[in-house]
Amino acid sequence: MDKEGLINGYFEGSLSQDQLEEVNLLLKTDAAFASEFEFQKELQVSLKKEERQNIKTMFTDLVENKVKPETKVIQLRPWLAAASIALLVGLAAWFVFLNAPSLNTDQLYAANFKPYDNVIHPIERGNQLEDLKTRAFTAYENEEYPKALDLFKELHIKQNDAYIDFYSAMVLMQLNKHEEAIPLLEGYIEKEGELTDRASWYLALAYLKLDNIEASKAQLNKLIASGTFKIETAKKLLSQLD
Amino acid sequence: MTDEQLIAQLKQRDRNALKTVYLDYKTEFFKFMSRYNADTDVLEDIFQDALIVLYENAQAGKLDALKSTVKTYLFGTGKFMLFKHFRDAKKEVPTEETYIFDRYDQAVIEDVYEDEGMNDYQAKLVANFKKLGDKCREILELFYLQGMKLDEITLTQGYENKDVAKSQKSRCLKSLRQLIGTNDG
Repeated sequence: MDKEGLINGYFEGSLSQDQLEEVNLLLKTDAAFASEFEFQKELQVSLKKEERQNIKTMFTDLVENKVKPETKVIQLRPWLAAASIALLVGLAAWFVFLNAPSLNTDQLYAANFKPYDNVIHPIERGNQLEDLKTRAFTAYENEEYPKALDLFKELHIKQNDAYIDFYSAMVLMQLNKHEEAIPLLEGYIEKEGELTDRASWYLALAYLKLDNIEASKAQLNKLIASGTFKIETAKKLLSQLD
Repeated sequence: MTDEQLIAQLKQRDRNALKTVYLDYKTEFFKFMSRYNADTDVLEDIFQDALIVLYENAQAGKLDALKSTVKTYLFGTGKFMLFKHFRDAKKEVPTEETYIFDRYDQAVIEDVYEDEGMNDYQAKLVANFKKLGDKCREILELFYLQGMKLDEITLTQGYENKDVAKSQKSRCLKSLRQLIGTNDG
């Protein structure tokens, strides 16, 4: 078999053991053969890598262009709507009479507030790079809130990702600075960040803490209508507020 | 679509078929992998890599006699990669049974998993490859990428005989070398 035949056979995977050994020998002894072989091998690897890259781009486009699943809005028939309102009012009354002689927003707040988990920047303990984002979220996870607040502020200057506002608001709420948390959450909701429904929930709690019951109820209603997060808890809290 | 149909389409380098697999199995894949507590980003990478392994091995004819379903093969590949990721990150690797891959499969999985993209020379090769004429790109892709033998190319692409296909391929390689050479100076 000529040299070209050997190389073709190699790529086809059709060489015998003897022929493979011949290829190996030629690779060591025949510079022109080795150069031709390497060139074709490199072409194959390059084409493969190019193809893989294209496929990954295709997948990424698929993820980014995928329309978020639409929130199902259940259209209630009028009589059903009336019935559910009646039921809600009834339940609310039941809650008020049985459970809450007087509305204590602080208690309700405390019963419902838990700072949102770090879902943005998972921290691997031990060998992480000590970059700013990691330091900020590490402080957050360790409940070192004043430190976390400073680091989020610093991060906000360097990059303008919306989630920074959301987590800054979490920290501010922990530090009992609800007035400052509210505009951040409102801004975040406006930008329709990924955690918008979460932000609605915390905004409702921030209003609650400030005794702004009507604003809190309005947020809870929005959250329930969006139907994606804490619906049952929101309904329960709403009924307690009514 | 049956597994056989899917594999046949992947062999034809049908990217839409691959897209369908991505969309059909993504949710289930993430659910399946959730027990290992890996980052979402890592899982997304691994899922994409596992699909590429499926795609390449289908073309190499490795899935013609597949004993399991495509899904089991795909998820098994993902798990193999995730455990490799755990080992590389010096994390504990769960002790449990994994899909049995032969040496060829493992080599492809590791190659895809460790692929860090093209180096400068490879990027230059590809850029110049794209300057070749249609006929040249076709025969080189069929041979080097899709793994078709010269006999098969002769048949499917209507070359008069194997020697004609062979010299066509040889001419195309020479053109590519020349293109690269002119860029060197």
